[in-house]
Amino acid sequence: MLPLAHAGHYALWILYVLPVLIVVGAILRSAIAVRREDREDGKPG
Amino acid sequence: MSFLPIAHALASRQDLPVPAWLFAWGASIVLIVSFFALSAGWREPRFEQPHSRPFGAGLSRALLSVPAQILCGAVGVFLFGFAVYAGLEGTVAPDRNFALTFLFVTCWLGFPFFSAIFGDLFRPFNPWRAIGRAAGAGFRAIAGQRAAHLTYPERLGRWPAVIGLLAIVWLEVVYGSGGAILEPEVAATAALVYTVYALAMMALFGAEEWCDRGEVFSVYFGMFGRLGIFGTHDGRLERRRPFTAATTWATVPGSAALVLASIATTSYDGASEGAFADFIETGIGWAEDIGLGVTASIRFTDTVFMLLTFAAVSLVYWLGVRGMRTVPGAPSLAKLRTGFAHTLIPIALAYLVAHYFSLFVFQEQAQFTYLLSDPLGTGTTDLFGTASSGVDYTVLTANAIWYVQVGALIVGHVLALMLAHDRALVYWPDYRKATASQYWMLAVMVAFTCFGLYLLSVSNG
Repeated sequence: MLPLAHAGHYALWILYVLPVLIVVGAILRSAIAVRREDREDGKPG
Repeated sequence: MSFLPIAHALASRQDLPVPAWLFAWGASIVLIVSFFALSAGWREPRFEQPHSRPFGAGLSRALLSVPAQILCGAVGVFLFGFAVYAGLEGTVAPDRNFALTFLFVTCWLGFPFFSAIFGDLFRPFNPWRAIGRAAGAGFRAIAGQRAAHLTYPERLGRWPAVIGLLAIVWLEVVYGSGGAILEPEVAATAALVYTVYALAMMALFGAEEWCDRGEVFSVYFGMFGRLGIFGTHDGRLERRRPFTAATTWATVPGSAALVLASIATTSYDGASEGAFADFIETGIGWAEDIGLGVTASIRFTDTVFMLLTFAAVSLVYWLGVRGMRTVPGAPSLAKLRTGFAHTLIPIALAYLVAHYFSLFVFQEQAQFTYLLSDPLGTGTTDLFGTASSGVDYTVLTANAIWYVQVGALIVGHVLALMLAHDRALVYWPDYRKATASQYWMLAVMVAFTCFGLYLLSVSNG
């Protein structure tokens, strides 16, 4: 059985993960945009 | 540090003006702002070239003279021997015996803290190096020639130190967890076993070679010493620009694993009584269900969680390195992994400060009062008249501890970003590509910061 007694307590981790997700999301978005630009310009890679 | 009653035991809850998680958001914003400031204003590597000023020849000669080295070595051997003696002959109460606080707090935490400021302070006091060198000198005097040593296998690098670091933390945190107290006698016996091992390795490979690569304490404390401002070069003491010596630290195999192991073991120590506590308890239940005894279940589960933490921390770094590899012009994965490992040293230090700063402040009061006056804890000795002193827990408030923890994590990660940005400018001379590569390290730093603050908030809450 998984420990659920302190579920509320552990749920707080989401608030700590959000900044990481925002940064990673921004990086991925930027990387995809650069690749799309490169493809449209006909650059390799 | 479960053998000490105050370890991680912040008696009072903090009374913070905002929720603890908001500090993680604030720290992330500081990192992001620092990142863009570095991108805008730092376009040439500044740490790669050594910047140092040698001490005066006289002072340097005096401090590095043979008598000074013998004196420091003798002090190291005496203190180590005394701690072992106290462990073997003193009380079994961990908090009343000189040995545990001296070995696991004063030395284990003190050397990283002070070496990070002043350079490698452990090297001159290293008892095993002192004994090894003395034995080498004795051999030369008797045999009339230097002892022949095996060539240290290059591929082994710092891996023996990595394994040693995990073993020491295991002894400190896992062996002494769940009611199975780490007794001073066990620690003293482990220290003696380690001494035999270290001296045997020195006999095989030479004292200096083993201290540079495999001797756990030299390698571990020396890693933090690379951040400090004093060092030696060509047999002369020098004052150097802080952090510059770190840039050449990770060239030896196993260095990245060592710094990751440092971050992971500190994280695990903090999490084992906080964020992971319920999960570990569940794991212990499962281990008992498959037939392990109580103590074996606790140690087995703790070991698994410690190794999982190591794997998770390594994975975060590896993802950052993989991300950098996608930037055009990137060197090989192996080169990136090694090349950025030194940037994690300030993070390892920040984690140490954040997790153990209060323990260090409290326990050093004990070290320099009642443990010094009554080192065996027998209650019959009072060498300096301080045997009846106690620890004043009011010197730090819960809020002050929290702010130091947050400050340490932020400063450590900003320094890490700075070192990473500097190294990126070496690999990508075009600063725009260097900046693009560092988006990934920014993510790594934000992840480590938020993870560290989460662990602390759960431990302290």
